[in-house]
Amino acid sequence: MRWISPTQRIQRPPQSYAGTVFRWIGLLILILLPCSTGIACAESPPGAAPASSKPHVTLRFVSWKPDHARVWEEVLADFTRTHPHISVVRELAPHSSTAYHDLLTQKLKNRDATVDVFFIDVIWVPEFAAAGWARPLDDIFSPAMRQEFLPAAIEVGQYDTHVYGVPSRIDAGLLYYRQDLLAKYGFIAPATWPELVRQAETVLAGERQTNPLLQGYSAQFKQYEGLVCNMLEFVEGHGGSLMRPDGTGSALSSPDALAAVQFVRDEVIGRLTSRAALTYQEPEALSLFLQGHAIFHRNWPYAWELANNQTRSTIAGQVGVAPLPGFSPGRAAAALGGWLYGISAYSQHPDEAWALIEFLSSQAVQKKFSREAGIAPSREALFSDPEVLARSPQLRNQGAVLHAATPRPRSPVYPAISHLLQRYFSRALAVDGLDLAQEAAITDAHIDRLLALTKAAR
Amino acid sequence: MIRAHSLLRHREGLAAWSMVAPALLVTMVFAVYPVLDSLWLSLHHIFVGIPQLGSPFVGLDNYVALFHDPVARQALVVTLAFVLLSTLLELACGLIIALVIHERFRGRGLVRAAILIPWAIPTVVASQLWRYIFNDQYGFANLLLFGDRVTDYVPWLAYPGVAFAVVVLTDVWKTSSFAALLILAGLQVIPHDLYDAARVDGARMWQRFWHITLPLLKPALLLALLFRTMDAFRVFDLVFVMTQGGPGDATQTLQFYGYQTLFTEGRIGYGSAISVAVFLMILALSLTYLRAMGSNLLERRRP
Repeated sequence: MRWISPTQRIQRPPQSYAGTVFRWIGLLILILLPCSTGIACAESPPGAAPASSKPHVTLRFVSWKPDHARVWEEVLADFTRTHPHISVVRELAPHSSTAYHDLLTQKLKNRDATVDVFFIDVIWVPEFAAAGWARPLDDIFSPAMRQEFLPAAIEVGQYDTHVYGVPSRIDAGLLYYRQDLLAKYGFIAPATWPELVRQAETVLAGERQTNPLLQGYSAQFKQYEGLVCNMLEFVEGHGGSLMRPDGTGSALSSPDALAAVQFVRDEVIGRLTSRAALTYQEPEALSLFLQGHAIFHRNWPYAWELANNQTRSTIAGQVGVAPLPGFSPGRAAAALGGWLYGISAYSQHPDEAWALIEFLSSQAVQKKFSREAGIAPSREALFSDPEVLARSPQLRNQGAVLHAATPRPRSPVYPAISHLLQRYFSRALAVDGLDLAQEAAITDAHIDRLLALTKAAR
Repeated sequence: MIRAHSLLRHREGLAAWSMVAPALLVTMVFAVYPVLDSLWLSLHHIFVGIPQLGSPFVGLDNYVALFHDPVARQALVVTLAFVLLSTLLELACGLIIALVIHERFRGRGLVRAAILIPWAIPTVVASQLWRYIFNDQYGFANLLLFGDRVTDYVPWLAYPGVAFAVVVLTDVWKTSSFAALLILAGLQVIPHDLYDAARVDGARMWQRFWHITLPLLKPALLLALLFRTMDAFRVFDLVFVMTQGGPGDATQTLQFYGYQTLFTEGRIGYGSAISVAVFLMILALSLTYLRAMGSNLLERRRP
């Protein structure tokens, strides 16, 4: 046997370094691959269920990642305690509505039987109904039961005479403001946008020395679903509408809709609010308000709890909330948002799924959510419940706003309509030297073509 | 004798096929089938939200619509601009990095490892990182430029042109090191005696680079170009995390548009047409590159 001494070692060909480099690349890919998988993670059921006579059923509940995880865990543990033969496995999806939609509909498109209960955003009801993904609840969700909820919340859950969703939490756009600053200059909450602009100018002129970062307004103008809500409020507040009254076509070219968009383009972006608002969703806009850098702020009901949270907010106790202004007194508009509970059409356990939904939407659980998570209830009675009102006095005003809130266009192709609206509004606010009327006409034509498709199918 | 020979050949052929079969099967199932299926879907009209429409065969209608779609046209312009800018910048940066880490100096191993870090970070994380760097309130870019003058802070991502530039910059930061790696491999195979000979002939550094390094690097550069162009064409995660296509569609790329149509809007036919169009564009590009590279390799083989 011959040994090769180190000096005798065969000369490596020059390519061998390249070889090692590629081996390194391969190794890196192997290491990185697992990071990119695993979008959703499953949670084990809370608490083991004791033995019972009924056959044991495991329900799968696809949920977004909740803000108040502890409250949700307690509620679900309560459910398993009262329903020992049912255990609930939650599958947590991303928090963003669009990301949640894409994940959930991907499962439903594949008729995935491992989905029983899910959330439906109020804008998806026509799509889920038309696609046959959500089970009609007409036989179990009786008219008497429906009457206990806010009418607007029941209405968005219906499509073509069937009901598909049980209201979980219902949202509407609200105007938050700095009570201390407005009082200092002798103002009350503004009823119209011109009034809001005037108030902001006065307050800014007086406060600029002490707080150079103070802005008049903070809201959500990024190119995403929230932009549609914000702009709907301006357009409706101006007396316009995104759709024609009979719902047959898009109405962005109407004088009122154009004037409202022009107002936001000229008077709001870069003046009343920083241009940075074009990159803001809810968290960024809210953080500006919580830091005391905005006089007025537009957000959903959940912001009340955070704005008055001593540890997270610098303006706790100085916050007021009012309906959003319009362009003439009494013409306020709020976009309707929120979530409904639905049952998958492919679920093998609709009865158990209904038991879970009944429990989650019960008065007691809604009360707990309102008390411990600051989530606005959807049951009419809770808006006059002394215990709830003592803790959340803002609900006294919100009830009226929620009753009058305006839904976004209702169509099975809403996701496509929304993208066209987002595109139009974002271009209208961000692109210099844009011919607004022409953009509006093009978008109108696009949306009308989509709506014609739905009509042809009827 | 002859029979035994043909049997052997037959056996060899069988063995060869059985060895190739797994790879062939995987390619068929995971590459060819999905592409053909997308192609088939793109010839239909399918709306998930309107199942009553069924899925009628519409021929090339989706492609005709795509050709006239202003959003798609805008997305194509954005995508092409992104491909051109990012690949050129990445190649330039990659070349510089490769030349530096090819030199011998103390701590070279450490520098080589460090260069790889941006590429090793998942794109989603890198995108989030750069989104924070260009944040209007607490971003590092503003701190660096304006320090304490908070009233001067710029909302970078709120301007269409700037937002696009930031997306390009992030991609360049992220993948220049990958280009550098490929180019470095090319540098390693250039024989050192060529430089020695040039030095003897009195060639200056710049001349050595221009007449030796660059021509001999051509295959590596083309390879890097091929990889980077294909990747840049498919840019998705950067846009998804940083801008969602905004503001005003300034960062809307074809892949992101395709994703929105397919997954959010549920327009299966049209979305497939977009994917197929992107696929065909990438295919055409890579075939062009491969042809260029192939001839290059053949030339080198001749003495």
